[in-house]
Amino acid sequence: MTDDPDNIVVFPGPRPEEPEALEAALEALLFASGEPVSVAELSDALDGADPSAVRDALDRLAARPGGLRIVAVAGGWQMRTDPRHGEAIRRLRGGRPQVMSKAALEALAVVAYRQPVTRADVDALRGVHSGGVLKLLLDKGYVKVVGRRDEPGRPLEYGTTPLFLELFELSGLDALPTVAEREALDDGDDPDDVSRRDDDASAD
Amino acid sequence: MHVALDPGSWTVHTEVFDGPLDLLLYLVKRDGVDIRRVSIAPIADSYLAYLSRMEALHIAVASDYLVMAATLCHLKSLELLPRPPAMLEEEDAIDPREALARQLERYEQVRAAADALDARPVLGRDVVCRDPVDDDDLDRPLVPGVDAFRLLDVYYTLLTRPPVEPASHTVHRPEVDLGACVRHVLASLGGVGGQRALSAILRGLATRPERVVAFLAVLEMTRLGWLDLVQHGHLEPVAVTSKVPVDADLSALRAEDAFAEAG
Repeated sequence: MTDDPDNIVVFPGPRPEEPEALEAALEALLFASGEPVSVAELSDALDGADPSAVRDALDRLAARPGGLRIVAVAGGWQMRTDPRHGEAIRRLRGGRPQVMSKAALEALAVVAYRQPVTRADVDALRGVHSGGVLKLLLDKGYVKVVGRRDEPGRPLEYGTTPLFLELFELSGLDALPTVAEREALDDGDDPDDVSRRDDDASAD
Repeated sequence: MHVALDPGSWTVHTEVFDGPLDLLLYLVKRDGVDIRRVSIAPIADSYLAYLSRMEALHIAVASDYLVMAATLCHLKSLELLPRPPAMLEEEDAIDPREALARQLERYEQVRAAADALDARPVLGRDVVCRDPVDDDDLDRPLVPGVDAFRLLDVYYTLLTRPPVEPASHTVHRPEVDLGACVRHVLASLGGVGGQRALSAILRGLATRPERVVAFLAVLEMTRLGWLDLVQHGHLEPVAVTSKVPVDADLSALRAEDAFAEAG
């Protein structure tokens, strides 16, 4: 019988007024997911917790030192190890980490900073035929076809994927490193150049 | 073409150049000159020297490198020869030197951008995250992580893959002996005057093919006058009466080749 209210066991969920409980719950969720999770998804999982309270808690978690970090990645939040322990993790896991070739990095940089780009754009900027390396980036899922350019031959246009953001721990494309390269890469005559926000712009 | 090489240039470069711009940028940087103010002649010489060294080492020189070599030679010739007045007047024409410098600058920026990316905490190299829980274990809707082009890729792979040989399976058709069926019919009737229902005769055979052959044999034997078929009314049993002995000579039946004709 459940008439007696004393018999009902309630596991209290986190409330905004209990910031530590909220942080703990978020930590648990991000550990459980593994993948980047958006603030909306986190808030839903916490039975409709206030998104702004969730965001504040995530910011506090992100500022916390430790071997595990809470990072804004690819439009969401993810739990990752601290790069300081990269070497130790590599030794623990054994094997060699996959290192991206210089050619792949260059092609990826061109796509990332100048997207949407065609293969010919990448060829011209690198001075080398880049079809092979673009194919590799497509296969790896860091680059995708985003459309066709309205010019003779209707060449395919490439852009980066969320996996690219995950690979380089970027909250979004506006978090691409340093202004100088981006401005330099743009011709300066690009009217729809989105003005950049700060690197620490929260991703949600 | 003979190129004088200083002994210092005979060092082994562990670095592999990633295209002509990479090589050119390396040469410019090595000489410590500003890309904009670079004098083409020495750079062109160094570039060509490097190419001939690659050839001496039997390294295939990609066409990209040769195009750049041609461009450099062209620029060098422009530098050495006095410009005809007509060329000076063409203000709109882009100075090829300027174009090359610009190309080099842009490439330098690509390199800087690539280095900036490489300096990030790279997933799997510098940092790791927890592998997501195996989706198979979760009753989650599938979100396909593929786009149309990836699907096309898969489809193309399927098309180009050699076809799997279809599994072969032989079905053996049971051999039905016509003679045995005829003997069965005659034996069931038990000699001249013997009479039985057709259904009863056929029921005495085990398999469907035997029954079919026996049925056809009955029709043929009737045509030859060996049997009489009588049915007394609609849906009544068909009575078979024999007009030949049980051990009748079947060669007559065979000689007629009745079944080939019937077929």
